[in-house]
Amino acid sequence: MVLLLVALVSFIIFRYVGNPVDNILGQEATMAQRAALEDALGLNQPIYLQYFDFLVSAVQFEFGNSYRGALPVAELILSRLPATLELAVTSAVFGVFFGITLGIYTAINRGSFISNFILSSSLIGVSLPTFLIGVLLIWIFSVELNWLPSFGRGEVIDLGWWTTGFLTMSGLKSLILPSITLGLYQMTLVMRLTRAEMLEVLKQDYIRLAYSLGLTNKQIYFFHALPNILIPVITIAGLQLGSVIAFAIITETVFQWPGVGLLFINAVYYVDIPVMSAYLLLVGFAFVIINLIVDLTYILIDPRLRDNQLKSER
Amino acid sequence: MLEIYNLDVNLSYRGSQIKALDNLSFNVYPGEILGLVGESGAGKSMTGLAIIGLIEAPLSISRGKIIFNKQRIEQNANAFRGSKISMIFQDPLVSLNPLRTIGEQLVETIRTHIKFGRKEAIEYAKSLLEEVGIEQERFDAYPHTFSGGMRQRVVIALALAPKPSLVIADEPTTALDVSVQAQILELLKKLCRERETSIILITHDMGVIAETTDRVAVLYSGTLAEIGKTFEVLNYPQHPYTKGLIEATPRIDANSLNSKLYQIPGVMPDLKEIPVGCPFHKRCPRYIKKCVEIKPPLLNERAACWLLDNEKGLL
Repeated sequence: MVLLLVALVSFIIFRYVGNPVDNILGQEATMAQRAALEDALGLNQPIYLQYFDFLVSAVQFEFGNSYRGALPVAELILSRLPATLELAVTSAVFGVFFGITLGIYTAINRGSFISNFILSSSLIGVSLPTFLIGVLLIWIFSVELNWLPSFGRGEVIDLGWWTTGFLTMSGLKSLILPSITLGLYQMTLVMRLTRAEMLEVLKQDYIRLAYSLGLTNKQIYFFHALPNILIPVITIAGLQLGSVIAFAIITETVFQWPGVGLLFINAVYYVDIPVMSAYLLLVGFAFVIINLIVDLTYILIDPRLRDNQLKSER
Repeated sequence: MLEIYNLDVNLSYRGSQIKALDNLSFNVYPGEILGLVGESGAGKSMTGLAIIGLIEAPLSISRGKIIFNKQRIEQNANAFRGSKISMIFQDPLVSLNPLRTIGEQLVETIRTHIKFGRKEAIEYAKSLLEEVGIEQERFDAYPHTFSGGMRQRVVIALALAPKPSLVIADEPTTALDVSVQAQILELLKKLCRERETSIILITHDMGVIAETTDRVAVLYSGTLAEIGKTFEVLNYPQHPYTKGLIEATPRIDANSLNSKLYQIPGVMPDLKEIPVGCPFHKRCPRYIKKCVEIKPPLLNERAACWLLDNEKGLL
């Protein structure tokens, strides 16, 4: 359903932002040429048929050719996708891992100096815009200290269908700054959520019982409290992973990261409609998939949901 | 076995200290069941939490000694929690971790306190389940598949698993059906008698006190009003408050049909406004001048009431 709506929006952009015939043939084409092309593109068919054709080809990952490079859009996106996914996954892992760790720490040591310091400095993470953080990081670590590269992916290794920066030193190094930039906001969010949920869960009776049974703090925090905060944390982390992919645009621009986001920005400059609509569909698709995975993990975590599921299937 | 001397618990409230428990002293003997009774807010649960060392800010133990088997525990209850003293709470529906099977929770508690291998621990856990009346097959079941009464049985198994010598049961049956209450109390009583484990049974139900306990301590506004053998306290109450509590207990017999239930006049004072003198005097039908001025100590090792000061034993 969501995908259909997203597809409709990208279809409308595709069809109505500018005239594709003008875009392809330019101003000096003859009427005959235009008619021939309209025929070839199916533009004289009724609108719902066009939408249907668009859907059918989208399912087959067929988005036509880019206006600018005349390359198939699908190929263009596929070649850029690994860069974006590696960046998004790294920063999401960074954000979720440090978010949960710091969240638990600040919840357990509530009111201590270090906790208060982490909490107040995390406000910076929320309030500074992403591009500013990126530029600041470049200034400190690339310009002043000259430790880390400021743009690009470094050396990548081609695995045929996938190019990865994980396997080379320069690839990993170039990943650090963009991942921090992209993941900082998620980290702050996950941290604050983890902290709030943790404080709530630690008030529960089963935690009090666990204490009165003489379990150690470690057992209580990791086996009793942590699993019970995972559902809200995973929900938010999942939603955030979607937006990490979507908002990678800014980070990719700042770091000249050769991913889908940068492709999109360039597509916007040159009004490359097929690329734009394909990108929109892709992001919508990512959101849907991630939410599906999140829903499945609920069932994995919570036995109560598992049983409801079984009952409704019977 | 457990001795409490002059225990004060303070509540810090906007910079000032309010006494929530005031000069509380009593003993628990090996193998006995001591009832702790009083109205809501009298400090029953707080006494339990103080013994097991789970008092948290803004509350704190400000004075007194808690001695367990000749060792002072009021500052390092951690070492005793679970292994020597454990606690059962009021609402079994929220007392178990919903995401883990009861077997996992039992084995975890057992292995924290007893040097058992995994297999031994599982065997022991299953035998405990059997003892509290749950089939061994339910070992891998999650808490939400049990009823309230069954969950309280699991909690009892958990509390007894490390073989403690004292169990504090904080209103263990208040949240349960009347018919289930008796079963749970009998089970708790039986298992503790077999193990020679003492119980501090916190309740506001005089009926439960009468049926279950050996001795009873009556709390009022954080102070001990009366303590003694259950039989004596219930039949010959020495403190007007105890008397009121007993009279306010509903009865089911022919004479009581349509008769009006006795009520103790007034309400227990707020902790911030406990009056000078006897905390009960404003509600007491028989208070004398001294009650308004000086707080009575425990007299005749029985009741904190100035009326006992005149002759020997009154009421």
